[in-house]
Amino acid sequence: MALPSKSGLPISRQTLIQLIVYGLVCLAIFIFPFILDNDFLLNRYARYLVLAMVAMALSLSWGYAGILNLGQAMAFGLGSYCMAMALKLRTVPVHTGAGGLPDFMVWNNVESLPWFWVPFYNMPFAIIAGIGVPVAVSFLLGWFMFKGRITGVYVAIITLAALVVANLLIIDAQSVTGGFNGITDLAQLELFGFTFDAYSKSTYFLVAGCLTVSLFVALMVTKSKAGLVLQAVRDHEDRVRFFGYDVASFKVLAFCVSAGIAGLAGMLYTVVLEFASPTFLDVSLSLSIVIWVAVGGRQSLLGAALGAILVAGTQSSLQENEFFLDTWMLIMGALFVLVVLFLPNGLASLVDIIGRALKRGRGPAQRSTSSPAQTSEPAEANVSKQGAE
Amino acid sequence: MSGHLQITDLTVDFGGFTAVKDLGLTINKGELRCLIGPNGAGKTTTLDLICGKTKPTRGSIKYDGKELASLEEYKIARAGVGRKFQIPSVFKQLTVYENLEVANCKNTGVFANLFRPGHSSHRDGLEKLAEFVGLADQLDLPAAYLSHGQTQWLEIALLLARDSELILLDEPTAGMTAQETHKTAEICNRLKGKHTIVVVEHDMGFVREICDVISVMHQGQLLAEGTADEISADPQVREVYLGSMGIGDA
Repeated sequence: MALPSKSGLPISRQTLIQLIVYGLVCLAIFIFPFILDNDFLLNRYARYLVLAMVAMALSLSWGYAGILNLGQAMAFGLGSYCMAMALKLRTVPVHTGAGGLPDFMVWNNVESLPWFWVPFYNMPFAIIAGIGVPVAVSFLLGWFMFKGRITGVYVAIITLAALVVANLLIIDAQSVTGGFNGITDLAQLELFGFTFDAYSKSTYFLVAGCLTVSLFVALMVTKSKAGLVLQAVRDHEDRVRFFGYDVASFKVLAFCVSAGIAGLAGMLYTVVLEFASPTFLDVSLSLSIVIWVAVGGRQSLLGAALGAILVAGTQSSLQENEFFLDTWMLIMGALFVLVVLFLPNGLASLVDIIGRALKRGRGPAQRSTSSPAQTSEPAEANVSKQGAE
Repeated sequence: MSGHLQITDLTVDFGGFTAVKDLGLTINKGELRCLIGPNGAGKTTTLDLICGKTKPTRGSIKYDGKELASLEEYKIARAGVGRKFQIPSVFKQLTVYENLEVANCKNTGVFANLFRPGHSSHRDGLEKLAEFVGLADQLDLPAAYLSHGQTQWLEIALLLARDSELILLDEPTAGMTAQETHKTAEICNRLKGKHTIVVVEHDMGFVREICDVISVMHQGQLLAEGTADEISADPQVREVYLGSMGIGDA
């Protein structure tokens, strides 16, 4: 029922529904600015969309491949610093005279531009680095972990430790990274003749476009045979290995694709917030990402993305409300506990639960028309696994 | 004489405890061989050694003229060795069909699989396999919903989907009802000839139903080898394993 060849379509019915839902959500994101004509709020929503991208990337590695990456913010932060370096260099002639240095380097008595800053004069290089550096770092880390058969909670600990190391290194190298202050006072991103002002529709559309593309790229990965093998690895790693798959390389793939999307999101975060700071590589941000994904549904890309928008949105509106100033952390914690207790597959699984309830409500007459009663129920369960909305 | 699977002087030592000692086995192409023996005799360890889960201390395992002892697990699997584990191991969150789809893969490389759809065009072939083990009606059911016996059969079907020529079955009837055991014996008998099969089993009725030649292991060594009748008549075997009951009644 949920499979090809019977319907004659090249894709299954379930995949088709999933594609339509994903498409509609992306369309809604694009239409949004025409309803809300407020540049300040658009900037805020662009920020949520960026967070949705990181969450979606984590759902790819955690929900599909079973790799709980507590250091997701590392890829995110590295991407954001790459973009910040490029945008900082564009301000150099304005702030400190042609051929000069970024302002914070002058304050730190740096005399010449460090070698690794030089290529960031070139914007295409910076964009490639913003994705390539996180991917390369994740590749190395993933290679050592997964070739060494490290799994489960140990992966979580190692990724968390790697994040802390990256964070400390950036803070420590103050003369070339801006240390605690990060990199501020950036130029606006210019691409293909467009200038992306953080408080404008153009930036919002840039973020929305990147989110749409990466959502569909991730969806394609999960729908490929490699995606199926990854889900099998999540269920029973040894069994997959004894079918002749080199499990480590599949896990490295998922880890790297996830890091690439997180890196892209990091670059956009810099564009939207107009600075980069070590807080982007913070443990608390990294753990927040895990909470968003858990609340939204880790086995659904779209669920994770919407979870991020929902939770991050609630988080900041609670923070702004004087009444909740001291208690918003508690409220977020309670929400997390409730979801984990009652909806272990996140809010995305509500869709399947409601769908199944409706089916049951329609009674046995309905059921007898679809093939054996046994197969109609499981097809639903199948959806819950795939996490189609 | 050299068989399809040729094990010579196989020894594995776990920090002082020798689980398998100087084991030699010759199994011909298309043969179904049963490995029996008391608990701790090294039967499962022998299967672990063949499929690469455990590395031997010394000795050689030649399959189809190829030395397996030094290969990594996934390379041994690619050489055509399929293993069914004692604890049924399938992908519980995937459907029966998806389980078969994962196992059915000639090209196991990462990038080859990244650009290939998750649901391929060999549905017919996989459906036949599911039919073979009696799971045709459960194709779209997540494997978690299968009964214990069905899970065992699914795992056997997975090995067939993988196109493994040498199949290692570790206690395939553990926890099965008499009917299910009988059906498993039927599956084994139909595979005989096309696949070389090694079965580790305690259920003597089952062993009698499927086996030509039985190898008895005791304390990591080969104790006796022969047909069911020969084995049950062997006084040594009776003493260490079968007790006074004999094959067929155990």
